[in-house]
Formats: sequence, C-alpha cells, structure tokens
Amino acid sequence: MSYDLFLGCVIPARLPFLEASSRKVFEKLGIKLNDVDGFSCCPDPTGIELIDHETWLALGARNLSLSNNNGGIISFCSGCVETLKGVNHFIRKDEKIKDDVNKILKNIGKKYDGSTNVKHFAQVLYENLDKLRENVVHPLNGFRVAVHYGCHYLRPSEIINWDDPFEPKTLDEIVKALGADSIDYELKMECCGNPLDKSDKELSLQMIDNKFKSIQESAANCVTLVCPACFQQFDFNQRELSKNKEVGYDFPIFYLSELVALAFGFKPEELGLKFHRVKATKLLEGF
Amino acid sequence: MSVINFKFRNEVLKHNASLSYCYQCSTCSGGCPVALITQGSYNPRKIIEEAILGLQDKLIEKQDPNPWLCSTCQTCVELCPQKVEITQIFTLIKNKCFDEKKNVPEAFISQGRAVLENGVALPYSKAILTRREKLGLPSIKTASVDEIKKILKETNFENNIPKEGA
Repeated sequence: MSYDLFLGCVIPARLPFLEASSRKVFEKLGIKLNDVDGFSCCPDPTGIELIDHETWLALGARNLSLSNNNGGIISFCSGCVETLKGVNHFIRKDEKIKDDVNKILKNIGKKYDGSTNVKHFAQVLYENLDKLRENVVHPLNGFRVAVHYGCHYLRPSEIINWDDPFEPKTLDEIVKALGADSIDYELKMECCGNPLDKSDKELSLQMIDNKFKSIQESAANCVTLVCPACFQQFDFNQRELSKNKEVGYDFPIFYLSELVALAFGFKPEELGLKFHRVKATKLLEGF
Repeated sequence: MSVINFKFRNEVLKHNASLSYCYQCSTCSGGCPVALITQGSYNPRKIIEEAILGLQDKLIEKQDPNPWLCSTCQTCVELCPQKVEITQIFTLIKNKCFDEKKNVPEAFISQGRAVLENGVALPYSKAILTRREKLGLPSIKTASVDEIKKILKETNFENNIPKEGA
C-alpha cells in the first residue's frame, strides 16, 4: 500500500519533528509514503481561501493534479486535508467550476479531473488499527490523554466525510490502542482558536485558555492532536497563559504520531521531542 | 442608516442560493464559540441577515459584526437546520473585501504575499534545513514559483496584494 505524501507548509518548514515521527510510524507499519516534487501551499483553508476562493481552488487543483498514485494523497495536516478534500468537493459537484479551474490550469500545461483521493494520516492509522496494536512494544501506561480533535479533522462533515462531526471516536480509539487512557473533558470539542490569531490575537488566546482550564479540571496529564496549527496554539502559548495564574499550565502536547512512535519503541531523541516548548520529562521516564 | 444594495444582494444570492433558506432561527449563533466569548458582539446570524438584506455597507465597510472573527470551526454549518452554507457565504463577503482592498487583516495579506513569492506560505529557513537534516528528513522541492505566479496572475490575486510597505 502506498500514498503520495503532501507535506504542506507548517510541518516541514516549522515543525519538522512532527514529520519525523509520522514518517517513522508509517515505515514501521509498512505503508509507503512517496515524496513528490512540486507541491505548493495547499492553500490554507483559514487563510488564502478566505481572501480568494478562486485562487484557492486553482492552487489546490494544481496540487491534486500532481498525484498519479492510486492510493491518492496522504497528509499529516488537517488544514491541508480540508483544502484538498474541499477542492475535490467543488470540482466533483459542479462541472462549471471544474471547467473554470481547468481553464486556469491550462496556462501552466496542467489539468485536473477530480480523481485524486485524499486521506488524513490519522484516518489511515485508524484503518490499520489491528496492525497498529501488533506493533506496540511499549504501552503508554500512565498517559492520561486529553484528545483534541480540532475542527478541520471533522468539519464540514459533508466535505471531510470521515468521523462524526460532534461525537467522534477515531482518535480516542487510537490512543486506547496504544495502552493510554483517553480522558474526557468539558470543552473537548471546542475550537483551539488558532485561526483567529490572524485577526484578533486576544480572542485567539482566550479560546485556548478556556480549553486549558477545562483540561486542568480533568484528570489528563497530556494532550494529543493531529493538526500543526492546533499544535502551535497548544504548545507555544502555555507560558504566556500561565502568567498571573496561581496554578499555571504544564501539559506536554504530543502529535498523535509521536504517541504512536513512542509506543512502537522509538526513542524521544530520534523523534525530536526536545523541540517541544513544554517538555514531557516526567512522562518520558523509562522511554 | 443602512441602505439596501440590491445589486450586492443579488450577487450574493446568485453565488450561493442557500442564503435564501435562512429563517433566522439563530442556531448558528447559539453554537458559535466566538459569539459565546464575545458575549454576542460577534454574531453569525446577524451577518447572514445583513447578507439577505443586501446591506453591503454593514458587511464590507463597517464590518458590524466583523466577519473576520469567524474561527472557521464550521460548527454553525453542521448545526444549521436549513443547510445554509454559512461559512461559504462569509468567504464570499471576505473575498469581496479583498477584491475591494477594504478591511482585510494584514496577516492574510502577508500570507498571500508569501505564497505569491515562494509558492509556499512558509519558505524553508537555513536553520530549518539543518534541523531537517539532523532529523534524517529528505530535502523537498516545492512548486516552481513561475508556475504559481502564472496562476495568481490569471486569478487576479497578484493585483490585490499591495506592494510591501505600500
């Protein structure tokens, strides 16, 4: 089984350690990821799409046209997945949109027929849950994980067409398959607020502060998520948010691939876990 | 006083007919996390109401409520009993702001400029390339900037990005 790997912008150019753990996990599972030259920004469904839908469609279709793999495209980023699935959605449902996009692509000698399928890496992990279990050599006992699904992994469900938009289960089941506990918390389904960073930093921080308050009230001792925008929002802001608080936030933020890699026996050093702002020293004793 | 702009109203309706299904039940605002933390000063129902009425000045010029405060969580879209494509309509309004060079937050413009100049939103810095190598990651060739520029010229994107410092 193989997929073409769509890396996007944030992971390879800012958080490459997330790419490292993800690649290791798929190699271990025997799922081949092909590197493809020539991809652009997906483009950002919370950025470029909001200022120019037509540009978003055209660049997204150009990216999709570069995959010749029957398994289609896999991405480690929920934003990229939403964009590529979204572009497919518009092109597949409306011949006129498809024609208009192809008129633009003609200028660079490319065309796109809508046939490239797109999957989130967590979807592929879930589809291989038995294989995942077989590869666990170091169960994550003592990891009490607050799962953050993130909006774009789930919604709009008409486009993402994967887990339930309000009562999802896939990530919780993956976490449990690794021997960790998934801890429920009140604001589990709430947005992390990252996209608001572009228009109102204060509101963006208020949203993540509320999430952390809710996690603090639960029994969780770490967080897992599957989107690099959410990762930055959770990992980068804890120190700032802890100022003027009696009990500050100190939650290690694991990308789902990092939890899987740890359970598969990879060492924290090979995964680049030291590049996280919030260190997981205590949880990683014995790894 | 707000003035109804019929041309604007028809344009929005033509672009997204689902707008006309809205019966103003406010389910969108009830489920909106930003409406909650702004005590309703951000209010998706009201933006949709203004779009139905064709109040271009409220939506584009005065931005009351401000459509850029949507966090794109898509909760409203899931909850809407009338299947109004709420965030798609917001996108149309924000696209209009971009076309008319009005009230677009700077971070969107700088991201657009980065894609225009590099093909990607975040070009690879030297430090990152070193870190990638240390992590054993391959070097990746991103899109030809010429190709991306051709597309962005065709969609008129390039013209809507003000020159830096302008």
